Amino acid sequence: MALNALFSQLLIGLINGSFYALLSLGLAVIFGMLNIINFAHGAFYMIGAFAAYFLMASAGIGYWGALILAPVMVGLAGMATERLLLRRLAKMDHLYGLLMTFGLALVLQGVFQAAFGSSGLPYPIPSALNGGVNLGFMFLPLYRGWVVVFSLIACIATWYLIERTRLGAYLRAATENPGLVRAFGINVPLMITLTYGFGVALAALAGVLSAPINSVRPLMGADLIIVVFAVVVIGGMGSILGAIITGFAVGVVEGLTKYFYPEASSTLIFVLMVLILLIKPTGLTGRGIEATQSSVAPEATETQGKERVALLVFGVVAIGLALLPLTSVYPYFVMQILCFALVAGAFNLLIGHGGLLSFGHAMFFGSAGYITAHAVKVWGLPPELGILAGVAACAGLAALAGAISIRRQGIYFAMITLAISQMMYFVYLRAPFTNGEDGIQSVPKGQMFGILDLSDTTVLYYVILAGFILGTLAVYRTINSPFGQVLKSIRENEPRAISLGYRTTLYKYVAFILSGTLAGFAGSLKVFVVQNASLTDVHWSMSGEIVLITLLGGLGTLLGPLAGSFVIISSQHHLAEFGQWVTVLQGAIFIACVLAFRRGIVGEVARLLKISL
Amino acid sequence: MEQDTKTRTALSVSGLNAWYGESHILHGMAFDVAQGEVVTLLGRNGAGKTTTLKAIMGLIEKRTGSVGFDGVETIALPSNRIGRLGIGYCPEERGIFSSLNVEENLTLPPVVRKGGLTMEEIFDLFPNLHERLYSQGTKLSGGEQQMLAIARILRTGAQFIILDEPTEGLAPVIVQQIGRTIERLRQKGFTILLVEQNLRFATSVADRFCVVEHGKVIDTLTKADIDANADKLNSYLGV
Repeated sequence: MALNALFSQLLIGLINGSFYALLSLGLAVIFGMLNIINFAHGAFYMIGAFAAYFLMASAGIGYWGALILAPVMVGLAGMATERLLLRRLAKMDHLYGLLMTFGLALVLQGVFQAAFGSSGLPYPIPSALNGGVNLGFMFLPLYRGWVVVFSLIACIATWYLIERTRLGAYLRAATENPGLVRAFGINVPLMITLTYGFGVALAALAGVLSAPINSVRPLMGADLIIVVFAVVVIGGMGSILGAIITGFAVGVVEGLTKYFYPEASSTLIFVLMVLILLIKPTGLTGRGIEATQSSVAPEATETQGKERVALLVFGVVAIGLALLPLTSVYPYFVMQILCFALVAGAFNLLIGHGGLLSFGHAMFFGSAGYITAHAVKVWGLPPELGILAGVAACAGLAALAGAISIRRQGIYFAMITLAISQMMYFVYLRAPFTNGEDGIQSVPKGQMFGILDLSDTTVLYYVILAGFILGTLAVYRTINSPFGQVLKSIRENEPRAISLGYRTTLYKYVAFILSGTLAGFAGSLKVFVVQNASLTDVHWSMSGEIVLITLLGGLGTLLGPLAGSFVIISSQHHLAEFGQWVTVLQGAIFIACVLAFRRGIVGEVARLLKISL
Repeated sequence: MEQDTKTRTALSVSGLNAWYGESHILHGMAFDVAQGEVVTLLGRNGAGKTTTLKAIMGLIEKRTGSVGFDGVETIALPSNRIGRLGIGYCPEERGIFSSLNVEENLTLPPVVRKGGLTMEEIFDLFPNLHERLYSQGTKLSGGEQQMLAIARILRTGAQFIILDEPTEGLAPVIVQQIGRTIERLRQKGFTILLVEQNLRFATSVADRFCVVEHGKVIDTLTKADIDANADKLNSYLGV
């Protein structure tokens, strides 16, 4: 009996492994050719499943037809995406590709969620594969066996295509030196389009395969893609075969964990990733691809020696904010804006000045919220000690997460921080003190330093404002210190900074800890505004929101986070009735920012006025 | 017959300007290459020789002026169309692909014309390649890699060959072998445009020399002029 359960968990592991393998294979193929980590991969996987559903519902085309048609349709959509959106970023930093596809994923998932809600649509198992066979040691449902076998065949066929055919030779050569391959007379831009189409078609294929098992849901790809990122980090982006083997292997290990220690099964992949990174930072099959300089350098304006203008403007804004309680503006709304502006400011310290795109800042924002809320509510600590506890916990978390991730650059750093943050999400989902889905509710506001009664809205407002000003000044002080100058030089040219004798890793590590700690401070403050701490704040979509606020406001600007936070938080407030369309709008803003508006609001204003803000 | 082909222009460059980002590299580059001729671009480092070749191949996006090949204006064509017209390009540092083995490297460039060398003819020219057909491309020695880089464009049927510093970093005996190869190609009727730093090598293989400085051709010498103008050449190229 127990053996039976073991085998069925193994089978589930193999099936998940099939999806991991197909998806990470597609990611690897796309990455090789376009140098883009395709965040929209999960969305295309979902659309593949929906395409199968539509084909059946509206055209009466069943599973077997969908198995061919859905990937073709999604592949064509992918080709259009590449042509219309991604191509414009081809000459820019790879991180913009990640941001663009993240926005695209938000748009696609948001549209489907708005149309179909979050629940699943059923998709039948094809009649030919109904039932199963008894293998003696276990019962094998035919369809599940088919998924594993067919995925394996698809993976091997892809491997053969790339490693053993002439077309594959073109592909490999163009990965190395696209210009030369093009000069030989090969239409490389067309190949790039086809490659992206092929990669997302693989995702769609996985989507069709999964439809009868997991049903068809708008968010089916959203969480899966982060697991696949972890798989990719474990396997390294170096090889096609590596992606396939790692995918299946991780699935099996996960299945085994479900049998032996089910509590750990959802965090296992991330723990595995951390361990592998500690032992072999390039992943199991990784080559040193990231040696190429990779950091988002904001398109800075030449504003040497004008930094004080920013401080001046910030002073004026701060005075304006201080006068706000005299007006009729709803203070809780502004307080939220300030908290998000502060966490975005912390993130901005890292990306705008260090060139490091962390896709996991929600872990600091959310963790601090949980710790502070718990400390205040359960331990009965006063607010200031609650905040201190939250901030200290985040400093520790940042020290750990940074130690794991900081040696990697560019998109790897983004993926690793995302994965660590997702691991923390699962930890908080399980940990008893967070109350899981319910979160920590009705956190008391209390008396700060024994004199400031935070239940008085005006007092709370000034405390939050003071926190925001303090935090922003800390960022300003950091970036304008010698430390900040070194950080800037690392962003612009890390090898050169190393050759000048700087231990760049240490600088980046310290910046990461500072940023994480400050993000935690923002998270702690927010507890007193909303009086709760929940999973929303540790979810990866929160990390995305932090990135969006900063990007929209202006990377590397002092006032950008506040401007971005104002736009995003007010759009959420005013458009709340439109439900999922807010996500779509945010995704669209993401895409627009990356395509045409990379300086952000404050950056554009600064450029027009030729000052630094 | 020989005379007839010599007079036809294979490549005609005039008023060619090119930019890397903001920096203006070529300033009105102009020269012709006749059918069957071997022409070398000479000049100091940074004069714009390699950039000229890249601009001809369409590998530099921002370029203006005129590049005519076989009577076709190519300045506005994408790089892959230019290659298809029948120009074989062997870049600086050879451009051997490390993820491809020798055979894959050799067969990578698509055949653009009839009349390319067969594999047998290629192995006859470069016997080393035959022995190492399944080695990884970049595991070959520098000389072998250079041969591979030349060999793979001879297969395509391109009659116009562009070689960017084919002797760079190679042992003298290999340089001689490359020289003999170029001579054989000339006899087969190939037209060759070379960039060379090695003046001795260049004078042994080329018919004509265009001296490049500050992004344009400042002087043209024929093989016969070389000895008489040795001092002038030294002043062009000397540091």
